[in-house]
Amino acid sequence: MRPRQDLYPGYDVLAKRESPSWNAKTRAVLDERLAIGPETHRFFDEAEWPTMKAIATRIVPQPADRTTPVPVAALVDHKLAIGEHDGYRDAAMPDEREAWRQGLRALDAEARARFGSRFHQLGAWAQDQLLRLAEAGGLMDPAWQGMPSKLFFKHRILGDVVKAYYAHPTAWNEIGWGGPASPRGYVRMDFDRRDPWEAAEAKPGREDEAYAENLRVGD
Amino acid sequence: MPTLPDRAPCPPERRHGGPGTILKRRVAPVPVEAAVHPVVVLAAVAAGAGLLTWFAAGRSKRLGPAPSEGRRYAPRGSAVTASAAQRLNHASSMLAASVLFDSGLEHYRGQFFNRAMYTPVIVSSVTLASSLHGAGDTDPGSSQVRHAAQALAGLTGLIGFCFHAYNVGKREGGYSLQNLFYAAPIGAPMALTLAGLLGLAAERVRDADPDKPRLGGWPAGRMLALATAGMLVGTTLEAGLLHFRGAFQNPAMLVPVTLPPLAAALLVRAAGQPEGASQVGAKWGMWAVSSMGVGGVAFHAYGVARMMGGWDNWRQNLIDGPPLPAPPSFSGVALGGLAALELIERRRFRL
Repeated sequence: MRPRQDLYPGYDVLAKRESPSWNAKTRAVLDERLAIGPETHRFFDEAEWPTMKAIATRIVPQPADRTTPVPVAALVDHKLAIGEHDGYRDAAMPDEREAWRQGLRALDAEARARFGSRFHQLGAWAQDQLLRLAEAGGLMDPAWQGMPSKLFFKHRILGDVVKAYYAHPTAWNEIGWGGPASPRGYVRMDFDRRDPWEAAEAKPGREDEAYAENLRVGD
Repeated sequence: MPTLPDRAPCPPERRHGGPGTILKRRVAPVPVEAAVHPVVVLAAVAAGAGLLTWFAAGRSKRLGPAPSEGRRYAPRGSAVTASAAQRLNHASSMLAASVLFDSGLEHYRGQFFNRAMYTPVIVSSVTLASSLHGAGDTDPGSSQVRHAAQALAGLTGLIGFCFHAYNVGKREGGYSLQNLFYAAPIGAPMALTLAGLLGLAAERVRDADPDKPRLGGWPAGRMLALATAGMLVGTTLEAGLLHFRGAFQNPAMLVPVTLPPLAAALLVRAAGQPEGASQVGAKWGMWAVSSMGVGGVAFHAYGVARMMGGWDNWRQNLIDGPPLPAPPSFSGVALGGLAALELIERRRFRL
């Protein structure tokens, strides 16, 4: 498979930090998020933490040479530690904090039962097997305590992990997102129009134009 | 499996030079970094076209010394028509300036997507120069260059109206309120037509018999009064549409949809009265609409400040917020109404 193209060459959303695009509140929120390191965890205990990190690596793999990889597991931990709930949950699921603890324990138990070692010690193939089974609702170990593995995968793993990934500026750079539009939003909202403070998408053969535009988003 | 590129903040030269790859410099089809911004070029072209018009219209002539014995016209009559003509030029200047800045701003927002979007900027600059030239010209007698420039403005506005009407109509939903709100503003180009019409009227009034000025076969004062009343109603429709879009969230937004129609009604009444009759009510109406147009700029500036980020975020809010250059078009039309009243009263007005 071909490597994915760099669609927004030269784009760095953090260049907008001091521009009129962001205000003090936006900067404060981003500073708090960027202070979270890859190993920061307050909610998960030492037994759960490696499992959480292993799941994050399988769900949103990142290139090894990223200078600032998204601390996905730590962002999920942060959300659970500050107790910020989604505000809704499936009636068959426990509270999201409890769901994560039960689910991680259950995945570890399943890994031991099927492969004889803990989840994070397994190879990528075995981990994917377990995650696929969870997605299909095929994991029934008593450690799940009645929580359907299908719902755990759908609401907690997919929901929390993917949202954590796309809550980080590194992911924003990848998809050309402009970060919080607060206070400066967007003016030119027709098809294929672009404000000067928006990421410029590289058209094939015209990457240099996009690169030059992307250096100016912080003006 | 696809590997995601490293999107961390660092210059791309380093990113592209991974181990084992040959460091490839970006050799450019980079567009030649224009030394001047295209908008600066447009501004220079518009200003140049204006200056050319000014010089082409020739030296403005001052009124000669005391009227000589053999003069055909009673001095009072020619003083009235000259004053009315100048006032019409003021009206046209106001409208042309409003169009110049408004179309410049809004078409910049539209990124001059269609080449035709440059037209109103240049034509309104030509009209503005021609009207300012006329405003300083106290000589009775028209100028062909100014006449031509004003006719060009009138025509350009009509063509622009067709363009905007097409732009609204081609969108999904056609002539729905949604498209009338957010597509090209359908009434805006007509302001340029109004500038042209008032400028044309100025030249015609200069040429007319000072004792019995006529426009298109009708008494000039009445004709102009009815015309400007119609223009006021048209401008009110445009403001009404956009203020309705803004949900009249500030009670002051009701003023431009109530005061101008009232003033227009006074103008129509004035047109029905015999020449020479005093028109105090209509006159005050016109002054009120005039000052409303100027005050509107302050209100719109307040509107910009109210948007998120306020004036610090001017690059968004000046475009997205209430348009600063729009309200003076009311003042322009009202000044035209004052000129009409001067012709009806047969008396010069002073401030």
